[in-house]
Amino acid sequence: MQFKDYYQTLGVARGASAEDIKKAFRRLARKYHPDVSKEKDAEARMKEVNEAWNVLSDPEKRAAYDRLGAGFQSGQEFRPPPGWDAPFEFSSRGFSPGEEADFSDFFSEIFGRMGGMRGGARARAAGRGEDHRARVLLDVEDAFGGVTRQVSLRVPAAEASGRVSFRDRTLNVRIPKGVAAGQVIRLAGQGAPGAAGHPAGDLLLEVEFRPHPRFRVDGRDLLLTVPVAPWEAALGAVVPVHLPGGEVRVRVPEGAQSGGQLRLRGKGIPGEPPGDAIIELRVVQPPADTPRRRSLYETMAREFAFDPRKAGS
Amino acid sequence: MRDDDFLEGQLLEDAWLTLEQVAAACPVEPEWLLAHLDEGLFPQARSVAGVWRFSGAGLVRARRMRLLERDFDAVPEMAALVADLLEEMDGLRARLRRAGLE
Repeated sequence: MQFKDYYQTLGVARGASAEDIKKAFRRLARKYHPDVSKEKDAEARMKEVNEAWNVLSDPEKRAAYDRLGAGFQSGQEFRPPPGWDAPFEFSSRGFSPGEEADFSDFFSEIFGRMGGMRGGARARAAGRGEDHRARVLLDVEDAFGGVTRQVSLRVPAAEASGRVSFRDRTLNVRIPKGVAAGQVIRLAGQGAPGAAGHPAGDLLLEVEFRPHPRFRVDGRDLLLTVPVAPWEAALGAVVPVHLPGGEVRVRVPEGAQSGGQLRLRGKGIPGEPPGDAIIELRVVQPPADTPRRRSLYETMAREFAFDPRKAGS
Repeated sequence: MRDDDFLEGQLLEDAWLTLEQVAAACPVEPEWLLAHLDEGLFPQARSVAGVWRFSGAGLVRARRMRLLERDFDAVPEMAALVADLLEEMDGLRARLRRAGLE
């Protein structure tokens, strides 16, 4: 296990005051805020910053960390000394057991098994177990037929001795068809265990879609661009369109323009009611790459006398 | 793999979340939510026959406000104002995605 230098994470000196640590944390919490950060690894960095703040903002945890970590550098191989599992009580600084379970192995080795899970103990004593959350990343196609996904979680577990350890847990989850981005799927009873006689919490899965090369998703509506030839747009045509639910034949009305939209009711993501597929037409002209084709374009130019920059032409 | 190895999920689209469910999922104390409801900081939440109902968006709002209060010592009204702005940003980003611009 590698030693984590929490001071380095927050960018402060080892002797920094509580006020300086708070300032550094807030600066980084703003920089890596998941809703606004433009940093690629914002979520991972925020997790590290939260972990460092969790330890350095609590005088008892900080003192214990300083005592343990004196002489260690970031990344150096680290083992806590024997007897390091004294039954200290640390505050959770507003972090839930679920959030603490997301911290590093280094954190859980030192603080997770020493009473750092007081929040969890309190929640368990109060009755129902805590809910756990996880994100599940799906393809648009998955919403049409349902899919099974493996979801990996890191969960706190109380041992018989009273210690708290963390373990990895993998669940096979059947995602029902008709899920939309931002929706929550509840798996009843799959959260943290409750106190004796009380129910376990739930596992809440938040659905996100991967970006798709052809489809964009808006709620249950599916948006896609369909290329059409100039004569298909001008004269009207029936064109095949591939949707996740299967191929459909779409009538392009006579006189359609590039950018025009066609709504196919009920052909979006299934549900009650189902979404629509919204097709944006894009007129694509063939290249004038042979003498015959050039001649055809020249004929059109003469016959149409068309200037698209003049209104009503 | 056997059929009973799989867990069936329940979609929370049209189902409302109760105050206790939102509190457990955030997680916050139910009293925190009640105090914020009293101050009108969850304008979309509805009380029907004395039972508070939250949507999925209400859960996200509660989670955002909790983190703003915890990480920045924001007073609840400031956290709600930031949550309002983030929700407006969510709407604008959704419009960009619809237009294929994001």
